[in-house]
Amino acid sequence: MLRFDRVSFSYRTETATISDVSFEIGEGEFVALLGENGAGKSTLLRLCNGLLRPTSGRVSVRGYDTATTKTSAIARFTGFLFQNPDRQICQNTVYGEIMFGLEYILPDESERRRRTDETLALFSLDGLGDPFGLSRGERQQIALAAILARKPVLLLLDEPTTGLDYRECMTVMEIVSNLNAEGTTVFMISHDMEVVADFARRVLVLSGGRLIGDGPVRRIMKDPGVLREASLLPAQIPALAMTLGDSFANIFTIDEMADTVGQRALARQTSVGKTS
Amino acid sequence: MIRITGLSFQYGGGEKNALSDIDLEINNGDFLGIIGSSGAGKSTLTYAMNGLAPHHFRGDFRGEVTVNGLDTRQNQPEELARHVGSVFQDIDSQMLASVVEDEILFGLENFGIPHDEIERRMNDALESTGISELRSRTVASLSGGQKQKAAIAAIVALRPSIMVLDEPTGELDPQSSRMVFEILKKLNEEHGVTIVLVEQKIMLLCEFARRLAVMDGGKLILCGPVKDVLDSADRLEDAGVNIPRVATLARRLRERELYHGDIPLDIGRAKIMVEGILSDAAL
Repeated sequence: MLRFDRVSFSYRTETATISDVSFEIGEGEFVALLGENGAGKSTLLRLCNGLLRPTSGRVSVRGYDTATTKTSAIARFTGFLFQNPDRQICQNTVYGEIMFGLEYILPDESERRRRTDETLALFSLDGLGDPFGLSRGERQQIALAAILARKPVLLLLDEPTTGLDYRECMTVMEIVSNLNAEGTTVFMISHDMEVVADFARRVLVLSGGRLIGDGPVRRIMKDPGVLREASLLPAQIPALAMTLGDSFANIFTIDEMADTVGQRALARQTSVGKTS
Repeated sequence: MIRITGLSFQYGGGEKNALSDIDLEINNGDFLGIIGSSGAGKSTLTYAMNGLAPHHFRGDFRGEVTVNGLDTRQNQPEELARHVGSVFQDIDSQMLASVVEDEILFGLENFGIPHDEIERRMNDALESTGISELRSRTVASLSGGQKQKAAIAAIVALRPSIMVLDEPTGELDPQSSRMVFEILKKLNEEHGVTIVLVEQKIMLLCEFARRLAVMDGGKLILCGPVKDVLDSADRLEDAGVNIPRVATLARRLRERELYHGDIPLDIGRAKIMVEGILSDAAL
């Protein structure tokens, strides 16, 4: 689906922002991109759909080289959610915003209207609402709805849950997660390690523009070396498991922790019972 | 201290109360976290504390708010600002100057602080927020975290006895968010500043705040010591607020009758909980 081959990128004024990054994301994966502020995450995400083109190396999406393919052609099958929803909302009604994104991919107007109604229902949105009169969280959902209406096969999300309260965060993530279950590939920047632990299956870690970690979320979130180098704090349960030592090494979720503690407490009671 | 009695507020032109019948006392030296879903009234409550409601945001204001004994309806926000320092949600709307030093000077000069005292206040503010080396930097060149610290320093320089902050870590990564909390903790513990903090990051609040206030639909639905509030996890969930994972774990372990103690508020205390359960089982 997405392939980076020794990709480097620098903005005109600076030294390399992305240095020699290689990875491949397959169809249907759910990958989170982690790193501290300034690590190059947003730049890397913009390289994925041709918003930026590599200074050296090669990026290909579904086989299309981003250096030689029009960004508009790539945009037909990718969806990109900016960190700030106000950078992409441009219509005066929620309905208009969703219709707008469909114009170039669905020539038939009745088809566009049907798709828009479907999307409004999925997100429980009021089509007549004025996007700019709504809260930040609601605007974020509208921006996401407009992107998802186009049914992209690759979803690129730059901090989709920042500025949302917990309920809004779960609504957005569940919609993304359902799409992923239906086959949409998701590549998402997030600072919220609980969200990453709950939803992503694989994690890429950037530090100073270099890729310093790539693997299953359960492994990377417990890799002290990678966490330290990228100044990341793991989610609470993996962090607790790490402080409890090696015998808790495989624990990642609340259920696993509760079950393990329960089983070990019981085993101890039983063994104490036998000896006394 | 801040005393809020029977406060209801409706924005002019609004259709329903942004705040309904709030009673809340914040004593000197408290570190109070305010949490709740979007639209719950958290920001409006901070406006009631610094006098922006009803002086700047006009509307129907009922009940009473006093700040260090001053009735907020009788005193303008600029007078109240000597008691309550405010850090707003949108940091760029707060920063006026182009250089950090000037940002801090701006408030000090506005308050008419004597010249010979300005330098000392400036140094103290920079030092207590850990940004002495940023004194001559332009605001535009600062990272999000540094900018947030500079905004806090500018308020600290004015030496208010109370600081009210509205989601100061909203745009920050986890490490920078934690640093902001560390600064607030230091101001609270070493300088006795009362901290009132609106925040979505429940895990940091639980670790740093003394008390939590939970808002839902303009009402204050829970308020008390952090561990007591976490004991009402079901009501928190109804208000759209999650609880830290270690607190959920403790509740699961209680359900299994393995644990009967307090809800742990951070990983260190969760570790003690788990180790305690396993060693008790061996007794």
